[in-house]
Amino acid sequence: MPDVAAVSESAAMPARSAAPIIRVDGITLRFGGVTALADVSFEIGASEIHAIIGPNGAGKSCTLNCLNGFNLPQQGRLFLREQEITGFAPHRIARLGVGRTFQGLQLFAGLSVVDNLLTGRHLHMKTGALEGFIYRGWAHAEELRERRRVEEIIDFLEIKNIRHKLVGSLSYGLRKRVDLGRALAMDPKVLLMDEPMAGMNLEEKEDIVRFVIDIREALDIPIVIVEHDMHVVMDIADRITVLDWGHVIARGNPQAIKSDPTVIKAYLGAEVRR
Amino acid sequence: MTLPGGVHAETYAQDRALIRTPWQWLWFAAFVAVLLLLPFLRPGGAVGIATVIGITLIAVLGLQLTSGCAGQINMGQSAFMGVGAYAAGALAVHLHWSFLMTIPIGGISAAVFGAVFGLAALRIKGFYLALTTIAAQYIFTFAMLKLPKEWFGQSEGLRMDPAVLGSFAFDTDNRIYYLVLAFAALMTYGAWGLMRSRTGRAFIAVRDNDNAAEVIGINVFYYKTLAFFIGAFYAGVAGALWAYYVRYVQADQFTLWLSVWYVGMLIVGGMGSILGAIVGTVVIRLLQELITVVGPQITDLLPTLGGQFVFAAMNMLLGGLIIVFVIFEPRGLVHRWNIVKESYRIWPFPH
Ligand SMILES: Nc1ncnc2c1ncn2[C@@H]1O[C@H](COP(=O)(O)OP(=O)(O)OP(=O)(O)O)[C@@H](O)[C@H]1O
Ligand SMILES: [Mg+2]
Repeated sequence: MPDVAAVSESAAMPARSAAPIIRVDGITLRFGGVTALADVSFEIGASEIHAIIGPNGAGKSCTLNCLNGFNLPQQGRLFLREQEITGFAPHRIARLGVGRTFQGLQLFAGLSVVDNLLTGRHLHMKTGALEGFIYRGWAHAEELRERRRVEEIIDFLEIKNIRHKLVGSLSYGLRKRVDLGRALAMDPKVLLMDEPMAGMNLEEKEDIVRFVIDIREALDIPIVIVEHDMHVVMDIADRITVLDWGHVIARGNPQAIKSDPTVIKAYLGAEVRR
Repeated sequence: MTLPGGVHAETYAQDRALIRTPWQWLWFAAFVAVLLLLPFLRPGGAVGIATVIGITLIAVLGLQLTSGCAGQINMGQSAFMGVGAYAAGALAVHLHWSFLMTIPIGGISAAVFGAVFGLAALRIKGFYLALTTIAAQYIFTFAMLKLPKEWFGQSEGLRMDPAVLGSFAFDTDNRIYYLVLAFAALMTYGAWGLMRSRTGRAFIAVRDNDNAAEVIGINVFYYKTLAFFIGAFYAGVAGALWAYYVRYVQADQFTLWLSVWYVGMLIVGGMGSILGAIVGTVVIRLLQELITVVGPQITDLLPTLGGQFVFAAMNMLLGGLIIVFVIFEPRGLVHRWNIVKESYRIWPFPH
């Protein structure tokens, strides 16, 4: 996907190996008596595909929720580049360039595919209520400009023929694509994906894998991906963090994780050793 | 939104246009012509009815933006209308300001009052939000009856002179009709613009999924407040026009029942669409007019029933109609019409 703005942005960033883009520093998150996350720390480097894995209820979604401000950890701190973002409201974190897709379906059912993606451009648009009311010149020009931008994403995700459909009428697989499109429309500098392939058939999964790899290539951004399908994870992840009962029990590259005895014991079992 | 058969948007601009086919233009032109010529075509009663419909439409459009589009229940639209009427009335009566000033200020006053309830909408939803907005009704009535008599006239209300522009006074039914028509056209156009631009999408995003809205950077708190602000602004403009129409403002004119009727109009027309607000307002207002015509006739025919009973019964029928819509066609007449149109277009090849 050609994206001049995002590429030049990343060119201005320090060299690849330098400071991490995301730093999670010892976060603990409790819901009443339940400890969802216990002293979780990890770092995410520039343009890295980082998988977070773990059994159901391990705290994967909670980790993402802390990163984009839905959950406020009782302890620990979160950083985006040098900036601390602990306690920021989600829309503020979005403004800093954190895009996110959801576990399950979280689209705007009353909007068409195009309009769902255009909501993703919200932060890049300026038309306020009064200009919208008047809807002359400026507001109209902005609509057209952003529409062109959104059409690039529609091309990339191969959803041209459904662009005017209400998302409520689409198949699950297509809706997940629209979800991804909406996050991409933000021109994110980091992309968080919560189980983007859950409930998909093999073909649909392959499409998503291809998109994830292409996004990283084109935008040169780090992608944090929560995923249960171990084959996919081992294929695309540069590094993996393994959670179990809210604890980080292992981290490393796919090779190391595959052979890590704690991981095998806690989670992977015989399946991955094959 | 589906395109009429055979028409494919050449450009994105066309894609976003409201009127696309020659036929649509023709209908639109005919509709505008009828509105403009109404006082000549049907002088007398029809003009008065159309004026009230125009004023009601502005209030219902506002409610559509707050409730239908942004998903924030509002049972206080009539009170917001009252705030606009009193604000415009007081400025006109005491300071002799032009309606060109008092109507927008009436709108802003109502908007500020309404936005307070938008603040509440951050914490509460649904039923409890409905209750809170009902409180607006009581606050409004209480304040208007208790504030100093020099301001709002307490129980006597405010008597107004007609709106004047230079030496031209809007003092006949026909003249006020054109004034209301101009405002109704402007506010409808504005609502359409809002809904197809960034703000409208943000409203729908907040309505459909506020978590996902936050994640793409939409400040949900701001947009909920804005939805109340804009919706109440519409109500305030409607109220100010009402003040210039009846030339008398009193708290009793703005009841909770009116707010309930407005919600009913949205339900019948269709939640979330501007056209739905128009259709719902026109249909329900005309039915209400019908009741005032048919009611006395029934009473004449069957005097034993008594006028009170006939009116109550017919209003219950109308209320029942709304309940039927809630149950069988919750998406309203406009949605039903789209389905009919769609099946007609692909006939004889159904899915
Ligand atoms: N809002 C909440 N209130 C109470 N408990 C919660 C809340 N959100 C999450 N939890 C609990 O926190 C723990 C971690 O949940 P989380 O959703 O992060 O799991 P997960 O790793 O994403 O699991 P899955 O693979 O099923 O999605 C679970 O025990 C869950 O029940
Ligand atoms: Mg989860």
